[in-house]
Amino acid sequence: MPINDQLLIKIMIEPVAMKDFFITFFSSALIIMAGASYALLFAWSKVKPKLSIKLSAYLSYLILLAAVYQLTLAANLDGSWRIISYLMVIGYFFAPIAIWHLCKQTHDEPDLTTTLEKNNE
Amino acid sequence: MTNMSANPETVTENTSALKNKLQALHSWAAVDDSTLNDGQKLAVKYFMGAVILFIFQILFGLLAAAQFIAPNFLYEILDFSVNRMVHINAMILWMLYGFIGCTYWLLEDESGTEIAGLKFGVLGFWVLSAAITVVVLVYLLVQTGAGNDTTLWLINEGREYIEAPRWADIGIVIVMLIFFYNVVMTFSKGKWSGIAGVLTLDLVALAGLYLAGMFYMTNITHEQFWWWWVIHLWVEATWEVLVGVIMAWSLMTILGVSRKIVTTWLYIEVALMFGSGILGLGHHYFWIGTPEYWLTIGGFFSALEPIPLVAMVVHAVYDSGERGFKNMNHPAMAWLIAHAFGNFFGAGVWGFMHTLPQINLYTHGTQWSASHGHLAFFGAYATINIAFFYIAIQHWRGNVWMGADSPNSWRWKWALALLNIGVLGMTIALLIAGYEQSFIERAIGGSTWGGYFAAQTHPSFMTAMHWRMLFGWVTATGLGLLVWDLLTIGKGETRKAEVITHSE
Repeated sequence: MPINDQLLIKIMIEPVAMKDFFITFFSSALIIMAGASYALLFAWSKVKPKLSIKLSAYLSYLILLAAVYQLTLAANLDGSWRIISYLMVIGYFFAPIAIWHLCKQTHDEPDLTTTLEKNNE
Repeated sequence: MTNMSANPETVTENTSALKNKLQALHSWAAVDDSTLNDGQKLAVKYFMGAVILFIFQILFGLLAAAQFIAPNFLYEILDFSVNRMVHINAMILWMLYGFIGCTYWLLEDESGTEIAGLKFGVLGFWVLSAAITVVVLVYLLVQTGAGNDTTLWLINEGREYIEAPRWADIGIVIVMLIFFYNVVMTFSKGKWSGIAGVLTLDLVALAGLYLAGMFYMTNITHEQFWWWWVIHLWVEATWEVLVGVIMAWSLMTILGVSRKIVTTWLYIEVALMFGSGILGLGHHYFWIGTPEYWLTIGGFFSALEPIPLVAMVVHAVYDSGERGFKNMNHPAMAWLIAHAFGNFFGAGVWGFMHTLPQINLYTHGTQWSASHGHLAFFGAYATINIAFFYIAIQHWRGNVWMGADSPNSWRWKWALALLNIGVLGMTIALLIAGYEQSFIERAIGGSTWGGYFAAQTHPSFMTAMHWRMLFGWVTATGLGLLVWDLLTIGKGETRKAEVITHSE
């Protein structure tokens, strides 16, 4: 089947503009850094329940949103690619939450559970 | 022919003299073979081979780095192409030696029985080591002139990173099959576990994928298509899973984490790794003449590849909260932490920075790739092998206490610091060189020869290469200290390590 504009997902072929070189590298790196910070701080806020840690986690997620938005502009992710990028970043909000629940489920032996969260229950 | 007919008494004397020397070496190193099972004795051989190849990797890396600064250095004696090839292949092989060693090390403990086919395993080790020695000597002494069918079989297949001649390729597959046989038959004889199942399936893929690099195709696109099957799928699928297995077992051994927990996470990580890593292969297909849909597939699945790393981060935080980092082997634990960070930064951050085709158009094959490669290989693979060396040496010295307060603990701490600073410094230097190269050679120069030479001679490129050389020496110093530490750590220590009991 010929690939054309009618397809939902267009092929990524528009290279970044020279003026956007740095912002592309930087926003890509920031996506991973902010994504990991969100996951790390979220997990930490569960181990050590403090409002400041939880707020830092959400701040990281906001940085992640900004980085994804910037990358979609710099890397010419237009049309359906922009929608997919936003869907992925929204889905990512729930990933650490789901992973956390899996962690709790797999650590169900009472004698092993010594987190502050458990102690505070 | 005189030696062949040497009398039996002389042979016996020579053999016993060699045994005495080995015994003296054992006594000096304060290691005790009686603490090891047969699988672990075989693992120790692989670990020693890994350390020797690690030293070779760094030495030839230093030579290659020097030739960026002084291109005439050793010209036509030891050319850059050969130094780079030995540097990279030594790296791949020492990782493999380490992984194989780790597997043999855990085999009997995990299966609860003696290793099956030990004599084949030992034979495989010596065959592999002899083959590598011959191949390297051929690279260094013989490799000249144009390639043809004879050189393909006897000297070099010409495939970057898997340059071994055809005869050695066949040998490698045979050794991998022996390794596979040892593993499967041992688990079959003893007991299977989740870790055993993942390990077995991964070894099938590891041996099978290597076959993709062994047939010759005249079309360069077809050739590259299959070549990436070995390069990408080994590193970003089978090796990552192997590392997951080693990490799972290490966490049980030195942190006492429950088997149920590590097994559950191993399954999840394997699913995520294969789910994203296999089609992430597409990001290598962007510019080799494959159909355009690979841009889409490669770009999309590469964006998913960092997700398993996030799962590891959350998991690590949970476990640290559970255990408070209480462990019985501080150097090993420190290297496992270095592994978590190195894997995340090297594979995750440095990988995604230049993965999308819109930017990869400019960075592909520049020093940017080298920057990513240095941090990713060190962070994801070298670190976990080094962690396991410490687990092994602790056991080999009679399970002595190896803590942060041990005598001469400065050695492992400085080795850890220097190796990490050295590799990170090289990574940053190569990143600057790669950025400059992407900009001048690719974006402005349009990938022409003129653009290539303008980039290679640019002052910022040359300065970056000087910094790379300096940090290469820092890495080499760290390696020297690491070897010294492995030879001495725990010697004379009388305190026994805490015995960790596994939760099931």
